[in-house]
Amino acid sequence: MANLTLKNLCKRYGDIAAVRNLSLDIRDREFFVLLGPTGAGKTTTLRCIAGLERPESGEVWIGDDLVNEWSAANRDVALVFQQYSLYPNYTVRKNLEFPLRSKLRQIPVREIGLRVQKAAETLRISHLLERRTDRLSGGEMQRVAIGRAIVREPRLFLMDEPLSNVDAKLRELLRAELRQLQLKLGATLVFVTHDQVEAMTMGDRIGVLCDGELVQVGTPYEVYNFPGNTFVASFVGSPAINLFDAAMDGDKLVVVPEKFEIALQPAIRARLNEVIGPRSTVRVGVRPEDVKLIASGDIAGRLYGAEDHGVEMILTIQVADQLVRATSAATTRVPVNAPVQIAFAQDKLHFFDPETTKNLAQV
Amino acid sequence: MADLDLIDIEKHFGVNWVIRKLNLRIDHGEFVVLLGPSGCGKTTTLRAIAGLEKIDSGEIRIDGKPVESLPASERDIAFVFQLYSLYPHMTAFENIAFPLRAFRMSDREVREKVKSVAKVLRIEHLLQKKPSALAGGDMQRVTIGRALVRRPKAILMDEPIGALDAKSREEMRVELRRLHIENKSTTIYVTHDQVEAMSMADRIAIMNEGVLQQVGSPTEVYSWPANLFVAQFVGSPIMNVVNCRVELADATTKVRLDGTESPFQFGGEVYRRVAAAGHDDIALGVRPEAVLVDRAERPGYLPGEVHLIEPLGAYDILDIGVGKTVIRARTESRFVTRLHQPIWVQLDKERTHFFDKKSGLALSSER
Repeated sequence: MANLTLKNLCKRYGDIAAVRNLSLDIRDREFFVLLGPTGAGKTTTLRCIAGLERPESGEVWIGDDLVNEWSAANRDVALVFQQYSLYPNYTVRKNLEFPLRSKLRQIPVREIGLRVQKAAETLRISHLLERRTDRLSGGEMQRVAIGRAIVREPRLFLMDEPLSNVDAKLRELLRAELRQLQLKLGATLVFVTHDQVEAMTMGDRIGVLCDGELVQVGTPYEVYNFPGNTFVASFVGSPAINLFDAAMDGDKLVVVPEKFEIALQPAIRARLNEVIGPRSTVRVGVRPEDVKLIASGDIAGRLYGAEDHGVEMILTIQVADQLVRATSAATTRVPVNAPVQIAFAQDKLHFFDPETTKNLAQV
Repeated sequence: MADLDLIDIEKHFGVNWVIRKLNLRIDHGEFVVLLGPSGCGKTTTLRAIAGLEKIDSGEIRIDGKPVESLPASERDIAFVFQLYSLYPHMTAFENIAFPLRAFRMSDREVREKVKSVAKVLRIEHLLQKKPSALAGGDMQRVTIGRALVRRPKAILMDEPIGALDAKSREEMRVELRRLHIENKSTTIYVTHDQVEAMSMADRIAIMNEGVLQQVGSPTEVYSWPANLFVAQFVGSPIMNVVNCRVELADATTKVRLDGTESPFQFGGEVYRRVAAAGHDDIALGVRPEAVLVDRAERPGYLPGEVHLIEPLGAYDILDIGVGKTVIRARTESRFVTRLHQPIWVQLDKERTHFFDKKSGLALSSER
């Protein structure tokens, strides 16, 4: 296994900058997730690492090797795609053997047999080795696709949305399985996804991409609790964070344009005063689990909608003209349209620059 | 608005059953979600109601009247698909007004009706835009506006928000539910996404392989699933379903998981309900939030080891090895921070389910 370094990577397609000046250090044995919406540049970045795309400028280092000029075959990385791309007429065994049979590699037949057996055991597909791949379920196919990457014992695994084609239930299982496997193999793995749940639950660290730019790199805990800007704040977490524009007015934050007031606790006001600088307004973020229904508080609204998710309720509360999302206990029973009062967990408020969208605590 | 009756509906393509003996009543003003995996028959059911698909036997009644002989256009039902089917050369206003133009309605009346629908959908400011200038969520709002504007007897939706991004889907869920509260349209909504079903439905009808599995409110199907399929299809993370052995000793039921020496202890009635009834192949089901955990040893708790931590921001999911069984538990964020850490596990008795593994049926207690 190896570490991976990207230095000032740039890639354009015509007029469009797909990847802008991206620098990143991925550690040996790390599960690193590139997260972003469609068109963010995550797949392009992965393809540059694999050697399937040539960057305009910048460097790709695998271990101690600058691999810019190396062909994809020589980079010793294994790619797993969303499409399993297995040979349908071959058995699982033949599919697993295939990457090892290349003349370039000159691996003895006995060694091939051993590696296939070991990979099959790791993935618990030993009983499927003689089966044709078109007779497999989606989850089994995905395991074989991953197995084909494992047998090569590459320096680096690259995966592009490998779980997107399987149903929700299986995805949950495969998520945990893949993470366990990566820990067991001690593999360095770069995983591309648009699904923040996958990123949060599997990654050691997450790199969030937006419009070709790497906007934040951090552990799942950091990215969720200390989002670098409003994009990260709203992309990570479900239900999504609440965001309001607000102006400081003495001890209060006044949410505009439809006014409601948040009376700030002294400690929070002091914190905000430190970061707000000359700005007259801030963008305030509060996650749904940090909004509480209370018997009496200074933010009054009415219940606009209630979603029963079994494990908890997701409430939408209309305050002035704003909709505020809150999670609450599964036993919460408030009729729709009823008046309610809410409070924010003030130590969990996030403050962003309304111009640059950056988190003020981190500026 | 109308009520709907589906009576003994059956449909097959060749030798494959698509719908088997489906019976479902949808009340006036109700929001019912047909939920199931692809190929379960939910879309075929919806298309049969709309008159886009013939059924082989059974009867569909709208307001008590059989509609089998009525073509789709005369059933007075509106249909919204996943793909927006807007006229690209017309403004949002004209798209919504389109179904009204068939009637002799004054311009003023048309304007009023379009405006009132647009208000509910929060798209008043978009009425002069053409579809190409609208975001996906807004396009779908316009499509729904067009379906609602002529006040059909029922509105049918087939995965209407499936193509939107996660955040727009979240917003549209609230809007669609809100729309229903304000309009009280009889609505039948098809989806494979249990989150959509849970968050919007008055009642959920869960289908698998053409067979209706359970009909109930979100709370009912979540808290009292009728069988293993429903138990694991509804809820995320999915319900733990693990093998267990059950025995009675001194008026307590001892429940052992694979590879555990000590049992979880339940009241004697569990044994009477489960094993004494002749069920010998039993699975235990417990949702991650009903798995209680402690970092210190506690009476009644079994020792386990943390295999995996999945942080989700607002909470964590732990994969815990208990004997040879893996159980997933939902905990507060950072409750456990190290892999392989010892942890003690108990099950919330009130929220533990037992299933007959052969039939899949829940061996439920009296509610």
